[in-house]
Amino acid sequence: MIILLCLLIFPGCSDRETSEKAHGTVLVFKHGKIAGDPGPLRRLLARFERENPGIEVSDETLPASSDAQHQFYVINLEAGSADFDVMGLDVIWVPEFARAGWLRETDRLMPQKERDDFFPGPVEAVTYRGKAWAVPWYIDAGVLYYRKDLLDRYGFKPPGTWQELVFESQYVTAMEKGLYGFVWQGKQYEGLVCNVLEFLRSNGGGVLSNGRVVIDSPANRFALGFMRDLIVKYRVTPPLVTTADEESTRHIFGNGRALFMRNWPYAWNIFTVENSQVRGRVGVAPLPAFPGGRSSPTLGGWQLGINRCSRHPEAAERFVRFMTSPSSQKYLALTIGYKPTRKSLYRDHELLARQPFIAGLYGILMNARSRPVTPYYMMMTQVLQPEFSAALTGVRKPAEALGSVARQTGHIMGIEQ
Amino acid sequence: MKRRDGRYIFVAPAIVLLSLVTIYPAIYVFILSLRRKMLIFHISRFTGLDNYIFLLKDDRFWNALWNTVYFTAVSVSLEMLLGLGIALLLNRPFAAKGMVRAAVLVPWAIPTVVSARMWEWIFNSDFGILNYLLGMKINWLGNPSWALHAAIFADVWKTTPFVAILLMAGLQVIPRELGQAARIDGAGAWGVFRHVTLPLLKPVILVALIFRTLDAFRVFDVVYVLTGGGPANSTETLSVYAYKVLFQTLQFGYGSALSVVVFLCVGGISILYIKLLSGIRA
Repeated sequence: MIILLCLLIFPGCSDRETSEKAHGTVLVFKHGKIAGDPGPLRRLLARFERENPGIEVSDETLPASSDAQHQFYVINLEAGSADFDVMGLDVIWVPEFARAGWLRETDRLMPQKERDDFFPGPVEAVTYRGKAWAVPWYIDAGVLYYRKDLLDRYGFKPPGTWQELVFESQYVTAMEKGLYGFVWQGKQYEGLVCNVLEFLRSNGGGVLSNGRVVIDSPANRFALGFMRDLIVKYRVTPPLVTTADEESTRHIFGNGRALFMRNWPYAWNIFTVENSQVRGRVGVAPLPAFPGGRSSPTLGGWQLGINRCSRHPEAAERFVRFMTSPSSQKYLALTIGYKPTRKSLYRDHELLARQPFIAGLYGILMNARSRPVTPYYMMMTQVLQPEFSAALTGVRKPAEALGSVARQTGHIMGIEQ
Repeated sequence: MKRRDGRYIFVAPAIVLLSLVTIYPAIYVFILSLRRKMLIFHISRFTGLDNYIFLLKDDRFWNALWNTVYFTAVSVSLEMLLGLGIALLLNRPFAAKGMVRAAVLVPWAIPTVVSARMWEWIFNSDFGILNYLLGMKINWLGNPSWALHAAIFADVWKTTPFVAILLMAGLQVIPRELGQAARIDGAGAWGVFRHVTLPLLKPVILVALIFRTLDAFRVFDVVYVLTGGGPANSTETLSVYAYKVLFQTLQFGYGSALSVVVFLCVGGISILYIKLLSGIRA
């Protein structure tokens, strides 16, 4: 830890020359490791090289964990490293990196006409102080998976409200042995914040409003208390969710042991493979809302940003434009299942024919809402995670937890004064 | 005089190296802890003891300190007791002794991150083997009153072999004649252990205690992998908290203050043990 700290002493871009080939530009592209076959991405990069003679792309992967990548970028960007040009950015980092002055502004890459083609959520997430600082590459949002066969058997439809979800869960689990009602991600980590925000916002609540902290509200208290009630009062959610992340819930649901699951779209492909136990028995629906509220899936996904210290800004811009173009996004959607950030692709015949699943995602992605867009987010989430966890495990009452969040976030927001 | 100078030349490389990799970073962290330093906002100014004053009022710090002390006390006690038992057993002659000794070391040989991941699956309340064997549905890692104990359990499993091997080495240098003489004088098994083995083993026990206490106090990996500090911060130790403040929220000043506190605690524990140890030698 201490040694890492010492790397952070010298700010400003470093002038160190890298070993560059005399005849061309080497563009370094840093991004998280892709789960599965890296082949398609490599082929896409090769196409870029063919179309742009003189530019060579060096594809350098980082660990898949978002936290590990964040740490890598922070240390290197603060030290003014010019060792990489284009980087994959988690949707929650953009305002932070922009505030720190680590990113090259990308307004030029998203002219207004094109900007309208992107989903509103990611556009909001990459915008800081009126300018764009990254281009949305692929998109994610929370969805509700349900067991189509079981709902059909009891004549239910996918729930529109959380209360309907409780009712259907209670009814079906009473009839089916060894079945959990509804599983979601309640471990103390970033995923918990995504889950809780979906409940709060679908009750008209939230964390920030016009830069003010509005977390300690009756609507939020009710929604957070409802999540605890799912476990202890309605008993449709097993207590194990307080330690569950995406994969552990995906396993439970994939083994046919839960009626409903909240997760990201990635799980769909896994449920449709040959030896999946729930193949052909799964449906996807928008997350429910509270009466009077609206479904509010949390936005995820990755953006491409350009290192402010990059020595090849023009080449980097060309590369980002290429990677986020409709044809590249379509190619990655077809090959590795990355969901495009451009709305027009959800009307693409070939894509719809080969991945009918994404037609149903369109409405969900339109409603996807980013986590608070603020450079303080990484600090804020460190407050939200333990307090939400405390409310779910009954260590604190929802009102106490939210009051504590309000005090602590208020302190964080005042840090610059 | 000449010979004296020569000595300094020979130790110089070691001192320079130590200064570079240990002393300089330690001093730098202390200086950082007196500053308000946040990369994102380009804030970097001297604030004296403000970070430490904030720390005294920070509930999360006190919670982490308590978790750390509890983790250290319970895990080290268990490791010493179990380690001593295993060492005594292994010290007796029996068939396949070499094999058993090697087997005992296996948990210690596995990297903590790997063994922690393994325990995460064992503790899984849905499909974990522990609940299967117990025939229960205990939410080991998701219940605030169980989670820290689960982490302690995983740590004890991993480091007991280390203690056992250390103590066994100590047992082997105790001459067998002493025990035999005590028996002739009429001492029972307990008497021999209490009045011959234990006093002679004391220095080794203290060395094992120092190693284990310092390691346990800085515990990071097993907790970070098992629970990430949750649920409700019930397993967040000082090192985990410092890591989050330093590398996730990038508050270098405050994070350094936390690191300095860990350093001071560990230093205090070391001094205490070394005093004890020199007391025994004298």
